[in-house]
Amino acid sequence: MKDPYEILGVAKTATPEEIRKAYRQLAKKLHPDLNPGDKRAEERFKEVASANDLLSDPDKRRRFDAGEIDASGAETAPPQGRYYREYAGQGGGPYESAGGYADYAESDDLFAELLRRSREQQREQMRRAPGADLHYELRVPFLDAVNGGVKTITLPQGGTLDVTIPSGVEDGQVLRLRGKGAPAPGEGPAGDALVQIVVEPHRFFTREGDDIHVELPVTIKEAALGGEVRAPTTTGGVMLRIPKGANAGDTLRLKGKGVKTRRGAGDQLVKLKVVMPKPPDAELDSFLAGWTPPAGYDPRKEM
Amino acid sequence: MIDEREFLARTHLDQATLAVWVRESWICPDRTAPEPAYSEADLARAGLIHDLKHNMGVNDEGLDVILHLIDQMHGLRRALAEALASMKEHGRGP
Repeated sequence: MKDPYEILGVAKTATPEEIRKAYRQLAKKLHPDLNPGDKRAEERFKEVASANDLLSDPDKRRRFDAGEIDASGAETAPPQGRYYREYAGQGGGPYESAGGYADYAESDDLFAELLRRSREQQREQMRRAPGADLHYELRVPFLDAVNGGVKTITLPQGGTLDVTIPSGVEDGQVLRLRGKGAPAPGEGPAGDALVQIVVEPHRFFTREGDDIHVELPVTIKEAALGGEVRAPTTTGGVMLRIPKGANAGDTLRLKGKGVKTRRGAGDQLVKLKVVMPKPPDAELDSFLAGWTPPAGYDPRKEM
Repeated sequence: MIDEREFLARTHLDQATLAVWVRESWICPDRTAPEPAYSEADLARAGLIHDLKHNMGVNDEGLDVILHLIDQMHGLRRALAEALASMKEHGRGP
């Protein structure tokens, strides 16, 4: 660490006013924003700022003179975070001015030619730039999401967009329609349309992974004696064999009747739900009233 | 982008001073939204204005000239960089 008096170029006996003047003089020369092309300016400016920080504070200066602290005692934080030149150097800000070179840029010499080429390249890049991607949301009925189909979006800016929904599309999935976004400002390709799918719930089907779940109401007779009943699937009704003595809550698997995707097909899981007649049926009631459960029939014996 | 409150907090400026700086076009916040928005570059520029005014004793008239020259210098530096890049791209002069 160099001597702060030496850095500011003042005598050990300098008055505060002399120190202030010396610092201002150096700051005007060395401030990084006044020397945007000089990489070392920041280092030297910091040195000067540190020296000033030490010598402009009477208490710090006294302790330095007394040898209590060394010059590094002044190494506090740099006067500011980042200099303006770092941002201005990236170019194109609202402040930048061509006032310093416009005459050269308009002439026929080497500099103007090079500048023209560079700007032509930039224009060319802009001309070929693609259009923006546009985002849409599409609500799809449950069965269309499972089976696939074609939906038409009416665009806010007019016109329509046909979206082919692949079978098995999931809630939240985004479909990319290449070239259906905003047109390019120049001659580039149009952007893409990004369509987020929102699957609407179904009255009785639910989906878990690639399996479809449904609860199927059956009569007490169908549950007890078994038999064929018609069960809905996402592609239409099928005949389902209910085994004799089925219980409410039993789940029957219809293999391959779930969601069909490129991975394969899921299953449909049918959960039986025994539904008593409503209003209660007098004949059934009188039959059950006369019925004595056989010995050993206690559905709660495990409890 | 930074809103005015954060900008004031980070620059330690008061609102009246910032209003003057904006009116003088020393700082140009983005006015696309209803509330003015400031960039990191605006923040650093405020630091420079502070240094010029308080550490170098530049008065307001001088500040105007200095900022204008600095803005020209950055325009010139960019034009120079562009010209050099274009020369490298083509591997030769015109």
